[in-house]
Amino acid sequence: MRPLAVAAACGVLVLVADIPLRGGAAGFPPLGELPSTPFSTQDAALASAGLRAAAADIAWIQLLDYGGGGLPAVQDPPGRPYYFIKDLTLRVVRLDPRFHRAYLYGAGILGWSRGMERPTEAAELLQEGLRRDPGEKLFTLYLAALAFQKKGDTDRMIGVLESTLDDPGAPLTMRPILANIYKSKGEYRKALALWELILDDERMRDDHPRAVSQIADLKALLKGKGPQS
Amino acid sequence: MNTIKAVFGYTFREHVRHKVWLSGALFGLILLAGGLVVSALAQDERARMMLDLGLAANEAIALVSVVFLTVHLILQEVESRTVFLILAHPVRRWHYLLGRFLGTLAAVVVGLAALGLAHWLLLAAFGWTGPGSYLLAWACSLGKTAVMGALALLLSLALTSEAAAMAFAMFFWILGHFSAELHFIAGKSGNALLRAAILAFSQAAPDFAHLDYRDAFGAGLPGLGWMAAAAVYVLAYCGVCLALSVQVFEQKEF
Repeated sequence: MRPLAVAAACGVLVLVADIPLRGGAAGFPPLGELPSTPFSTQDAALASAGLRAAAADIAWIQLLDYGGGGLPAVQDPPGRPYYFIKDLTLRVVRLDPRFHRAYLYGAGILGWSRGMERPTEAAELLQEGLRRDPGEKLFTLYLAALAFQKKGDTDRMIGVLESTLDDPGAPLTMRPILANIYKSKGEYRKALALWELILDDERMRDDHPRAVSQIADLKALLKGKGPQS
Repeated sequence: MNTIKAVFGYTFREHVRHKVWLSGALFGLILLAGGLVVSALAQDERARMMLDLGLAANEAIALVSVVFLTVHLILQEVESRTVFLILAHPVRRWHYLLGRFLGTLAAVVVGLAALGLAHWLLLAAFGWTGPGSYLLAWACSLGKTAVMGALALLLSLALTSEAAAMAFAMFFWILGHFSAELHFIAGKSGNALLRAAILAFSQAAPDFAHLDYRDAFGAGLPGLGWMAAAAVYVLAYCGVCLALSVQVFEQKEF
């Protein structure tokens, strides 16, 4: 058989096999949908080498750094904390739309971090999660919690958030957020228990100094002495 | 068949003893250890990060090894005139080419398997239980490696320059991950001729996005139909490249 005839026959097979494979194994959104960030070159370089999930992982670490207040390339405007949190979260989830925890992390900060008041953007993130990554039940629960928050039903909002706390898919950042909500509602014992849990968790080393100070404050409040700081 | 086996055997032994192959395997282990360190920053996504970085490192090592080894495969034998000794025997050129290609691929597969096993053991030690199949992700990486090997062989024979063949192989590797973008650009183009040219080009280039299962662990296991289509795609694409390589090689005068 002539090599060119073999090449032509194999070429036809390539075209036939291509049809069921369209959209790729991963079905990623095009790179054009990534939000513009100082890391666009890094993302494009990694994605062009076929390392999209790894690019999303690095973007996740940078998001965690930003959330922890330590990403020099991204500086918030004065008085507007976490100004870029939505863009940086979208960056992670558009590099890898199945990065469940990133949607929840961004939505958790936007929806419930102190002084944020950006629940609409939190809901947008979660809705994108529902669209691109259906099947993750925490998206619906967080959306329900946001809806209760909007209605002013704080008890039910807390109830929903509490129910998600032990889920292995829930971001760790929800623990200090919920502890702060407890404290602001005067539920010091619950807040104290949560901060103690944070202090015992090696994965939350960055939050340990804050946990130590909060535990001291809460113990003082429980003794009726008022906060230490 | 015996000639293919004989060429396969000496090619495999040659590569496994080659310092490039050994350095690749060593560098892969270093990358896995690096992934272990970096993943500590990912909080509760540590296992996911170890998985992604490890699979990416394995694939990168396999890609570099297969391109480097394949590009030198025939050209070095032509330069050193060893090819005359082989072809003076009753060895058909396509037997020689196929044996050389399969021997190289087998050497890379052995390296990829060793790295994959080390990575999987590392993940198991960290209690990783993913929703997908590690073996399937490994097989998809192997498919990409095979396609790149066949393409690099064709390029080395068609371009007759090792540097140019390597550069073009890397170009096709990158292009292969931009199939969605090429289709997007074609869709936006108002010129029908340009659109047809872009689509034809993207169809001719290998589409590695088809085989990026390692980036889609969260989606669980794909169906058997998908796996069969992916296997056919890899084999047929390798078939096209190898058949064209044979065509080019048979026309060469030594």
